[in-house]
Amino acid sequence: MRKILLALVIVGLVVGVGLVGFGQDKVTIRLAGYSGDTPLMQDVLSRFVADKIPGVEVVWEPITEDFLAFVLRTLSAGTAPDVFYVDLGWAKTVAGTGLVEPLDDYMASSAILNKGDLIPALENAFTFDGKIYAISKDFNSLVMFYNKDMFDEMGVAYPSDDDTWVTFLGKIAMVNNQPNKWYGACINADAARFLPFAFAAGMPFLKDDGTGPFDLASAKQAADWYTSFNRLGISATSADIGAGWPGAAFISEQAATCIEGGWLIPPIRNENPTLNFGTTFLPSPWEGGPHSNYLFTVGYAMPTSPASGRPDLAFKVIEILTSPEVQNYILESGHAIPSRAALLDSAYFQQKDDFAQATKKVFEATALPGTVPFTFGEIGQGVYMGAVGEALTLIMQGEGTVEEAMNEANAKLSQ
Amino acid sequence: MKRRGEWVSAFIFLLPLLFTLAVAFIYAFVRTVYFSFTDYNLFHITKFVGLDNYTQLFADYRFVLALTHSLVYAIVVTASQTFLALLLAVVLNQKIRGLTFFRASYYVPSVASSVAITLIFIWLMNRKGTINWILTMLGRYWPLIITGLALVILVQWFQVFSERRHGLPARAFDPALLGISLLIGAVVTTILGRFGIVHLYPMVDVAIPWLTTRKMFLGIPLPLLSIMMLNIWTTTPTMMLLLLAGLQDVPQELYEAAEMDGATPGQKLFHVTVPAIRPLLFMVITMGLIGTLQVFDQVAITAGVAPLESTITLAYYVYWNMFGSGGLPKVGMASAAALVLAALTLVIVFIQRRLGFSEKGWYS
Repeated sequence: MRKILLALVIVGLVVGVGLVGFGQDKVTIRLAGYSGDTPLMQDVLSRFVADKIPGVEVVWEPITEDFLAFVLRTLSAGTAPDVFYVDLGWAKTVAGTGLVEPLDDYMASSAILNKGDLIPALENAFTFDGKIYAISKDFNSLVMFYNKDMFDEMGVAYPSDDDTWVTFLGKIAMVNNQPNKWYGACINADAARFLPFAFAAGMPFLKDDGTGPFDLASAKQAADWYTSFNRLGISATSADIGAGWPGAAFISEQAATCIEGGWLIPPIRNENPTLNFGTTFLPSPWEGGPHSNYLFTVGYAMPTSPASGRPDLAFKVIEILTSPEVQNYILESGHAIPSRAALLDSAYFQQKDDFAQATKKVFEATALPGTVPFTFGEIGQGVYMGAVGEALTLIMQGEGTVEEAMNEANAKLSQ
Repeated sequence: MKRRGEWVSAFIFLLPLLFTLAVAFIYAFVRTVYFSFTDYNLFHITKFVGLDNYTQLFADYRFVLALTHSLVYAIVVTASQTFLALLLAVVLNQKIRGLTFFRASYYVPSVASSVAITLIFIWLMNRKGTINWILTMLGRYWPLIITGLALVILVQWFQVFSERRHGLPARAFDPALLGISLLIGAVVTTILGRFGIVHLYPMVDVAIPWLTTRKMFLGIPLPLLSIMMLNIWTTTPTMMLLLLAGLQDVPQELYEAAEMDGATPGQKLFHVTVPAIRPLLFMVITMGLIGTLQVFDQVAITAGVAPLESTITLAYYVYWNMFGSGGLPKVGMASAAALVLAALTLVIVFIQRRLGFSEKGWYS
């Protein structure tokens, strides 16, 4: 009898302590994003988010697997993080699952994040069927980075905003300093770098009848020009150079130019801060022609039923992460351009150093006519980009003509 | 009463396995079969589509490619790795010096993570990677290499011949004589090269794009062939270890008897060793076939570099339908393809047994 009593007392104590402990527990808000963002996000979370919302602990979850696969898998299993990144390229797919929370009501009752605070194009980009599914955290576009010292040494004029495809090709041929030193450019068979040129040449995303556009003359002209650098030997892919990506080849001064976005600025600052570089718009197909570009943006989204059971707190985290303070901080670190309309005349853009000027150029490039947020509808991003990327590889290696490769890419798209 | 007790305790011991089997296999299998007849996309099942997924599968050129690739991959890789593993096992079953070292070092590729090895392989197979560099060097120096080898053989033959003429028992690969031959060969070759008597070929950079190409070799895409070589290299040692264990159980008397009958080493291998380790060979071939038919990780990692059409296999096709296209997962198609893969595996193992590679031992 005594033993039973003792056991009851112990059980009571354990349960009691457990309940008290539970009551004091903080709510954990899980925030998942690209693993490459870890240093920046941990810095931002500790500076701006930690202890700002009472009773909330925000945990950063870096995702190394394919991010779309992660989001779809966790959403369908009901284990999605409270806040997760959504890339514009596949935002529509994810919103179509019906398991992503529309944020209109939260924004309507928020004190700091309302409709109209964001740049309209970015707000519209994540709006499907009249509902906004993600808050754009920042955006980016492509510019041409060039190494001033290399152009000076070879006596070639710097690339400029007035360059056409022809004049730019000429400059790259002249600044190329092979076999011993540097390549004129580092260009990969990358659909995301190639498509802006194809759009500038007049290629639509899809033809009016909904079939692929890669067999159009404009697409073929762009493919011919884009691959000509590597075919002429005045440019190489990053793998040929032994660099992980074109930006790395540019930083290590093995290539005089590369096509990248604002994300190249922090690594230059960290790894080669004395690099003497400039930036210009992508060359246009003909004189006075368009510079069309590709608008990259990533937003924060929430699942309809978050594991924490507190969507209100998850939205508070989004509010802080997209607040003017955090966005300005990220802008000055050079990582990306703020999505808040009010920050577009930030004092940072007026600074004269290479880094601020490069950021400003990337920002200006997003405002060029023909630069549109890019959403893949029925055709998945993987299928579209994969088809044209493989065509570019074939052409660059001389395994197929522009004509054959682009027609084949188009056929794949229609399959 | 006692019998029932035994039954209960046996059942309790079996329970953990039965449970995992029921959940991870039977439940998953039944669901896969069910999904393969629907248009499920992880979020909504809108309707039953009957056999539509299966007919679409065979109309999809990617599936047909994946099927052919998987078959070729399974046959070539299993055959090569079994043959190499047998050779290695026979060699490492001898009493040679440093045996433990060789066994351990041959086993390293199997221990290392296949993801890490694949990444290193991608790096070696770059257009300006180590493999192309070695080929470049061979292209330049092959006249010297051939000259050197010919000289060594010539000098060795001369030495052995003269020793034997003097009535001394010299073996063809006598280490002392071989040392002298190598030295003379190296010195003479260096002199010939230095004075330009043997011409070197001009340096031509070999830049074979092993992975980023659609070139074929013997009808197999070059990137797939690269993955095959990688896979043979990493799994041969595991198979070798299994065969080695089998070899050590072969009764020594059989070899002695064979020697009495005047069998050559080759005859001993194919008429004594192979029949004796037949059960293990069956296991090695079966494991090889199942493993290669399901190859995924090497393909998935190479997929970032190589064209999809040149590397896609059935297992990767299943994944690609789920997460590769950038749209909503096509669970129906993926399930149908997974079931085709399962059926194919069963059929191939069945054919293999029919062809006589079964677990029957030499004594049966």
